[in-house]
Amino acid sequence: MQVRDTNKDRRGIGTLAIVCAVLQLAIAPNIAIGNGRANIALVFAACVALSIGGRQGVLMGFLSGMFFDLSTTGPIGLMSLLLTVASFFMGIEERNRMSDDPLGSFTLFAGVSFVVTLLYHLAMLLVGQASSLFDVLVLRTLPTYLLTLLTFAIFEYFIVRRSGPIRGKHGGGRYTLGKM
Amino acid sequence: MPRNLFGLNNGPAQFRRKNSDNGMRLALVLTALSLVLFTFSGRESGSGPLTTIRGGFQVITTPARVTGSFVMQPFQGLSNAFANLTADQETLSELKSENEQLTARNAELEEAEQTATRLQGLLNLQDTYDLQSTAARIISGSTDSWSSTVTIDKGSLSGIAVGMPVTDSAGVIGQTIEVSASSATVRLISDENSSVAAMVQSSRAQGMLNGSAEGSLQLTMVTSDKTVSVGDTIVTSGLGGIFPKGLPLGTVTNVTHNAGSSYLDIVVEPLVSTENYEEVLVVTSLTEDQQATADDISSADAQDSSSTSTSDDSTSSSTADASSE
Repeated sequence: MQVRDTNKDRRGIGTLAIVCAVLQLAIAPNIAIGNGRANIALVFAACVALSIGGRQGVLMGFLSGMFFDLSTTGPIGLMSLLLTVASFFMGIEERNRMSDDPLGSFTLFAGVSFVVTLLYHLAMLLVGQASSLFDVLVLRTLPTYLLTLLTFAIFEYFIVRRSGPIRGKHGGGRYTLGKM
Repeated sequence: MPRNLFGLNNGPAQFRRKNSDNGMRLALVLTALSLVLFTFSGRESGSGPLTTIRGGFQVITTPARVTGSFVMQPFQGLSNAFANLTADQETLSELKSENEQLTARNAELEEAEQTATRLQGLLNLQDTYDLQSTAARIISGSTDSWSSTVTIDKGSLSGIAVGMPVTDSAGVIGQTIEVSASSATVRLISDENSSVAAMVQSSRAQGMLNGSAEGSLQLTMVTSDKTVSVGDTIVTSGLGGIFPKGLPLGTVTNVTHNAGSSYLDIVVEPLVSTENYEEVLVVTSLTEDQQATADDISSADAQDSSSTSTSDDSTSSSTADASSE
């Protein structure tokens, strides 16, 4: 029976958090297509939710969303709300879905990411921080979504590569994010 | 063991995980918290505790941002190139047009800057030598190949008269020789008919600065016993009451003493090329300080006397030699 190593989880989450925080602050602002930039906070929340899930995934989603809100000029609480809900749904199975089913994880993330990005930018339009629907959909949502998807693919590749194959029928209970 | 929609085990309780709500309760709490923060954030509009927290966060994370910006500098050109690839034709045309306008404007501003510099030089000259003068602009050069003249845009209506000295920011350039109502002709010092009373600034040796057909300047009537060196500055002597005393004329480029001659052959280079004259000052009157003093006149007379006696002595000795033979 696999025993969950919470210390390993925390170390893994901590390392991933630092990497994503640096990327969100230092690199993401300088890589843009149109007005869109990669949402590294969403990538971090998804990595935790799809690798661990449950309460930890939800908490990390909230904190990464809050980090995103504080580092931008948008309203505080918007991204944290979206990532809290997104992390809950992505991590609802509380298993290492990323290693079990990378393609399925990627597909799930693609859908969740699109919804999160779209809702965020529509909310910005509603609060008056964006000027037109065309600008929101084409110049912000679409490029942000594509860059975020690409970033997640890179992260997933490295996480899956490090964690290796999963033993056992269900694959549940092995939290390999700690191996980072 | 079967799982329900939310992944919870439906088996015996001892096999069920303690945190079996999959974080639902936590998600609800944090969702409510996020909504509250979002509401308060929207109400703050620029000042409040949340804004303060954000400000502190920005300060703490500034080093990371700066580092990232520095690291990404080499790659920013690539992203700009990509953005440029997607620019449409209208944008490119607008940018091209704006570039042309800015280039023309830049050329105008550079010209204005140079004009301002020249005018400032004229003002400095005017202040330095306390010149009673009128500013004018050169509007054309010589129309024939026999004379070195320029035409200025001021004439008798502006108080200009024949015989007035004309200077630019560097020094004397010539003298008015013809005046109409709204323009005047200035004979340059390089003209072969020009002759200006001058002296070597360092040794005070008096002479006449003459122009030539080829445009060079010669300082004549300087006796061979005077000290003149290459690089010496030649200035107006003020003798004759035409040119103010002490205005720069040129610098010595060659000094030759021919055997049997009482005078030095001195070649002078003007300070400014005639092609660069643009804004000038016409000296309309001289103050007492700007004219040659009685000492200057007697010094010049003494120099003339000594050169005359030297030539007389050499003539007498040659006559005596001829008689004795």
